[in-house]
Amino acid sequence: MPAERELHSPARVMLAVGVSIALSAVVLALFSKDLGSALEQFFLEPFSNRYFLGNYLADAVPLMIAGLGVLIAFRSKNFNLGGEGQLYASALAAGVLALRLPAGTAPFAVWFLAALTGVLTGAAIGALSGLLKAVRHVSEMISSFLVSAIVINVSDFFITGPLQDPASNFQTTRQLAPKFLLPRILAPSKLDISIGLALVLIVAFMIVDKRTKIGFELKICGENEEFARYCGIPVAAYQIAAMAISGGMYGLAGALLVIGPQGRVMRGFSSGLGWSAISVALLAQGSGAGIVPAALFIAFLGTGSDHIMIGSGIPSEIVSILQAVAMFFITARSLPRIWKKRGQS
Amino acid sequence: MSGTAAVLADILKYTIVAATPLLFASIGGLFSELAGMLNIALEGLMGIGAFFGMAAAGLTGNVFIGMLAAIGSAVAGSLLMGTVTIKFKANLFITGLAINLLAGGITAVLSQWWYHTKAVVAFTLPPPVPAFPAALSQIPFVGPVLFSHSVLTVSAWLWAIVAAFIIKNSRHGIRIQATGMNAQAVSSLGYSPDRARMAALVWSGVGSGLGGFALGVSVSAFVPNIVSGRGWIALVAIYLGRKKPLWIAASCLLFALSESLSNYIQGFSSIPPLLVLALPYAVTLVSLIASGNKR
Repeated sequence: MPAERELHSPARVMLAVGVSIALSAVVLALFSKDLGSALEQFFLEPFSNRYFLGNYLADAVPLMIAGLGVLIAFRSKNFNLGGEGQLYASALAAGVLALRLPAGTAPFAVWFLAALTGVLTGAAIGALSGLLKAVRHVSEMISSFLVSAIVINVSDFFITGPLQDPASNFQTTRQLAPKFLLPRILAPSKLDISIGLALVLIVAFMIVDKRTKIGFELKICGENEEFARYCGIPVAAYQIAAMAISGGMYGLAGALLVIGPQGRVMRGFSSGLGWSAISVALLAQGSGAGIVPAALFIAFLGTGSDHIMIGSGIPSEIVSILQAVAMFFITARSLPRIWKKRGQS
Repeated sequence: MSGTAAVLADILKYTIVAATPLLFASIGGLFSELAGMLNIALEGLMGIGAFFGMAAAGLTGNVFIGMLAAIGSAVAGSLLMGTVTIKFKANLFITGLAINLLAGGITAVLSQWWYHTKAVVAFTLPPPVPAFPAALSQIPFVGPVLFSHSVLTVSAWLWAIVAAFIIKNSRHGIRIQATGMNAQAVSSLGYSPDRARMAALVWSGVGSGLGGFALGVSVSAFVPNIVSGRGWIALVAIYLGRKKPLWIAASCLLFALSESLSNYIQGFSSIPPLLVLALPYAVTLVSLIASGNKR
């Protein structure tokens, strides 16, 4: 008899989702004065009308894009922990560009240039960590985190200093002209057409992953680096590329937020998105198609938490706890024997 | 003492103060590193230690009890991480990341629940106990730099010495090292590598908890994001110090000097403070690159 029970991927996902939902219900029961209405706010309000639904879907869009980037880097066992800084700095770069473009520029050109700027900024920051790993054997986790910390401080400086909107009481850049913002769907919510781009990117990844040599070689780099090198796969190039893609996707997510729901770059812009995208990639369990439900779930936890915060005074940081618990369950590969015994008796 | 000397003494004195949390945490992290585990949760464990340590110290008015609470809570966190990683066969980096997220969430939620704020919670603590007789701290220059410190600051150095001794001379420490070098050999000798790994994580919990507590005590408050990257800096100190306690301590002093300088520059120069705040991270990043090796 095996000493422990192996947990397969679907079981882990179910456990992670189930436990984090159950935990949020427990927290609600503990803290809210009116459990019924708190449960309703958490679980049903995001779906209750067009406005809430649109906002909820809009929250899932950056998670899909950035989560896909994290997933691609995971493929080659590269762990990008600099998402917070990559997203923030890229959003700022894209925002500055969009603010500087002449008022007569065609909106389409603004969107394209802003997105491109975001991608390139994020990719450059991510590639740095990939390069350091390939050339100097430096842990990409630590270097991406440190670079991100530096980048966040520098971005904070620009937003509160040279780029501060003099007319605003908030620490923020100026607002983009409304015609430069992506067209909205499900108005008056903040959902815009970027959700289409997110889905296209996910499909594109699935095709590259299954049908091309690149997708295959990326996977080999992650599974066995030495073997990959032996096969003549340029491992260093894949390491740098994986980190660049991951950073670039964070950058794209940031840029789309600026030319979309946010319309400007406020201090603390990334607000945990960098970490949430990692949860999304983990929940998706390496599957491109899995990114969509995973992003919807993590966005649901976030939206639900925002709603209870307003309703019951529980700070929205509760979402970090829920995500952490989900991560524990998603990454556990087996349950120890004691659990099995209990199940048998 | 002339003005320049006084400034220099101040910078150096604060360097030693700023090195305290780094030294606690990086020596703690050295145990897990030697056992073959890159512990990215030092950051979160420090945050947990800072919060629960300060809460207990504030509640009881007793710094020692606060210290125990800091150790206890961070060890609990490292046990959770160790259990999921080792017993449930989870990915160490993901459980580490989860601990970091959990730390941010729990401290914010409990801070709101207990103190009705997510912002700074100030505590009145008894004055720090000086580690050296007052006469020593009167020595010009050397006195304020070396002998004006509290028992807590000095215990970081004791912790490093004791840890170095455990690692090098005790069976326990040697088993941890052996597990990192060759886990199979350890298990073929009849010892459990998993047990050594768990013990190493507990040690890193002790160090991080103490480090977080030292941070809280230094400002007599719990501040959101109080650790702000020091767990990662402590991790780099392990590499820069080539996993040797003495060199790790030297690395911590280097990073602490950059922090001390950045504090000083903020007050006296026209360089924007937000850019100066990035200095310790930049110094750490450069050290990380320097401590890497070519393939």
